[in-house]
Amino acid sequence: MHKRRKALALAAAGTSAVLALTACGGGGGSDEGGTKEVTWVINSLPSTWAAISSAGGSVYTVQMLSGVLPYTGQWQPDGTYEYDLTVLAEEPKVINDDLDAGPFQYSITLAEDAVWSDGTPMTGDDLRVTWMMGASPDEGYCTTCDPRSTTTADMIEKIEVDGKTATVTLKEGLADPEWMGMFDAHNVAGGFYPAHLAEENGWDIDDPDQLGEYYTWLHDTRPEFSGGPYMIVDGDLENQVVKEPNPEWFGEEPKLDRIIMTYNTDEGTFINAFQNGEIDGANPAQYSEDIVTQLQDMGEGVTLTIAEGNIWEHVDINLGNEFLKDKELRTAIFTAINRDQIAERNFGATYPEYELKNNHIFGSDSQYFEDHITESGQGSGDVEAATEILEEAGYEIEDGTLTLDGEQVGPFRLRSTDTVVRNNSLQLIQAQLNEIGIETTIELTDDLGTMLAERDYDIVQFGWSGTPYFATSAAQFWDSESESNFGGLANDDVDEAAEGSATALTLDEAAVKANEAVAAVVPEAYVLPIMAEPNYFFVNDRLANVQDNLQSSYRATYNIGEWDIAQ
Amino acid sequence: MLVYTVRRVLSSIPILILASVLTFVLIDVSGDPLSDLRMQQPPPDPSVIQLAEERLYLDRSMPERYWLWMTGIGGHGDIGLLQGKFGPSTQSTTYDIGENLMMRLGTTLRLVGAAMVFAFGLAVIAGVVSAMRQYSKLDYSLTFIGFLALAMPVFWFAGIIQQAGVGFNELAGSMVFATIGDGQFQAQGLDFWGQIGNTFKYMTLPTIVLMLTSFASWSRYQRTSMLEVLNSDYVRLARAKGLPNRVVIRRHALRTALIPLTTVVAVGVAGVIDGAILTERVFQWRGLGEFFITAVEKNDSYALMAWLLLSGTMVIVANLIADLLYGVLDPRIRYE
Repeated sequence: MHKRRKALALAAAGTSAVLALTACGGGGGSDEGGTKEVTWVINSLPSTWAAISSAGGSVYTVQMLSGVLPYTGQWQPDGTYEYDLTVLAEEPKVINDDLDAGPFQYSITLAEDAVWSDGTPMTGDDLRVTWMMGASPDEGYCTTCDPRSTTTADMIEKIEVDGKTATVTLKEGLADPEWMGMFDAHNVAGGFYPAHLAEENGWDIDDPDQLGEYYTWLHDTRPEFSGGPYMIVDGDLENQVVKEPNPEWFGEEPKLDRIIMTYNTDEGTFINAFQNGEIDGANPAQYSEDIVTQLQDMGEGVTLTIAEGNIWEHVDINLGNEFLKDKELRTAIFTAINRDQIAERNFGATYPEYELKNNHIFGSDSQYFEDHITESGQGSGDVEAATEILEEAGYEIEDGTLTLDGEQVGPFRLRSTDTVVRNNSLQLIQAQLNEIGIETTIELTDDLGTMLAERDYDIVQFGWSGTPYFATSAAQFWDSESESNFGGLANDDVDEAAEGSATALTLDEAAVKANEAVAAVVPEAYVLPIMAEPNYFFVNDRLANVQDNLQSSYRATYNIGEWDIAQ
Repeated sequence: MLVYTVRRVLSSIPILILASVLTFVLIDVSGDPLSDLRMQQPPPDPSVIQLAEERLYLDRSMPERYWLWMTGIGGHGDIGLLQGKFGPSTQSTTYDIGENLMMRLGTTLRLVGAAMVFAFGLAVIAGVVSAMRQYSKLDYSLTFIGFLALAMPVFWFAGIIQQAGVGFNELAGSMVFATIGDGQFQAQGLDFWGQIGNTFKYMTLPTIVLMLTSFASWSRYQRTSMLEVLNSDYVRLARAKGLPNRVVIRRHALRTALIPLTTVVAVGVAGVIDGAILTERVFQWRGLGEFFITAVEKNDSYALMAWLLLSGTMVIVANLIADLLYGVLDPRIRYE
């Protein structure tokens, strides 16, 4: 008895010691002791400290830099565009959009009180250096810069700087309907960079080699500068960054004392970490039915939102296949595919409000959306209609096998990457095509890029990432010269409309052309959009002013300066 | 023994070279390191892709690349195993594979070290007790626990342990156990006791997972080995001579029964260092497992090569240690 009591006492003492010791260790997501602290998850490791480069640039890097880089504007969650009039003195202006009178020109003027965290005023040089680092090496501004996207930057001929004002001149004959995006939150850098730091470190930004060194330095060095409400005070690229308010911030004072952005690569850990108070929320890149169900079951204390994301799944056909060259066959295939069944199987349980994608370029919430798919019958799963199309084109279904002139049509290789959504989808498509006598073999790959580039498929499902900037999308997807036109479509009407969209003077004009391109591509039965994959976001109810922004790579961190602790 | 050791080390070099050729070829043909870049939207400028190809030496043939990777001759100064450089990474232009690999190895060793010590200790105790009380309730219980731990998938087991930790925290009303992270950042600025508490908080749950998965198989080895020794003539003789059971077990039986386990553990530790992938993933420790997964996800062939080389070296060294331990622990074995 005595021994047992002694053991119990020891156990109690041990537990108390452990509790006392671990209490010293602190914990994430607390606002104990009056410190307003939030721990937010970034869903993967940012590879570098800057998002410009092709190797390191990712949404995770952009999110890690949230509240640090200034930008001229951004798309809001409701799909409207807002200039950041804290950073800007006024809304940017188009100086010339009459290409006959001269090159396309616009000007941007930064706010008089806009300064970097070291007190140096922001100037037009900051915009200029960001442009030069975002242009392709062939432009000659930077020898070793390897930006992940150069389309907009390469259209610019020059940027003239007059203090706070930068005047941007495009190359002769070019127009950019999305010019306002050059230095906004959605550009290749996620904002703009300071020019004066290059000079302070001894680099001349007009020397292509030295600008390359600055570019490398920005990617390699944890930023101690900030032009936003917060600045990074600690952290690495492996575990987390810690942000505290930027004392020189010239906008509305940020509400939080500290934001810890922790990198977490495994969504399966979110629930436990959230319940344990280690994280306050996340905006994961992938939809997970399992996590969403657990969050829905959690009930109080958490806000969960699910909405249509930017990645949209589609089925493409390789026109290089001898059978699939036939438009009628392709149309029948697309008609037999039942998109609703695919979306229901993948997302119906947790997101019954899913919407099928009826326009390749615009989401249903866009002001430019026009439904080009429903009426075509493609994706309807109408086997009868599909069979009719085939029979009219001379095909026959004999003993459940589709034939043409007595020869079996197919079998076709149905390919994709090995994800839950795509696996489900391929199995359904296989069964659906079987109903019109088409045999398919499912082949998965872990190297989608190579498979597409080598056209190593007959029918493929993969995803494109949508963006509020759409002007170049049609050209990228379907222009006969585009390297992303994997299946080999060549249609003059599509080419003309796509080019018209990319070079339009205004967004409205670009949207008209983009819709023309969609209207021309649908009868080709070349790409069948299925649905936009939903994204989810969850946040602890102790936080205020935190919401997801699916228009932006910053996601929920797009308004990090407004985050607060709920009263 | 020195001659034997040197001979073994030298003989392992061709094995490593052969392994490196095989893995290099396999990794090289398994995918395009630039596939993600080519799939980017909007597509990058061709000059950017060309720059990336030059940087990653993809503009050269496979044999050339292997030669470069080994020697660094003709490279840009960032490659050459013999010069201690592991090559450029797809993850960024400034990503130092060697530096990261060593940093990750340190993290993994921190995680694995404690788990292995506890697992070994527990396995010896459980194995010995099971053997001494063969077919008793205790033996059956320990056997059941061992098989249970062996049968459970690590990712699932880790999730259960995490949930148990969360449940304990809720009961305690304080965060005694953390479920994610290695606690390095949280340890900054803490005093000695704070550091101890922080270590306990972040290490306990992953250590339990790794410990139990290793303990399970090791305790079975120890039980079998102990049973064999307990039934041997010299142990019976020791008992017949009237030695107390405690002395027979500790000084005669256990010492001999430890030999097979020790060698199994030596090789097993190398396996665990490589195999902590799932545990590291679930507990978000940035160790070698995460390094490997990221390298695979990013098609980072040189990083994968570095990981495989380290892995191969560890297995070879572990085998060597196991062989040498035989000699140390069993006087009948002598290496000439």
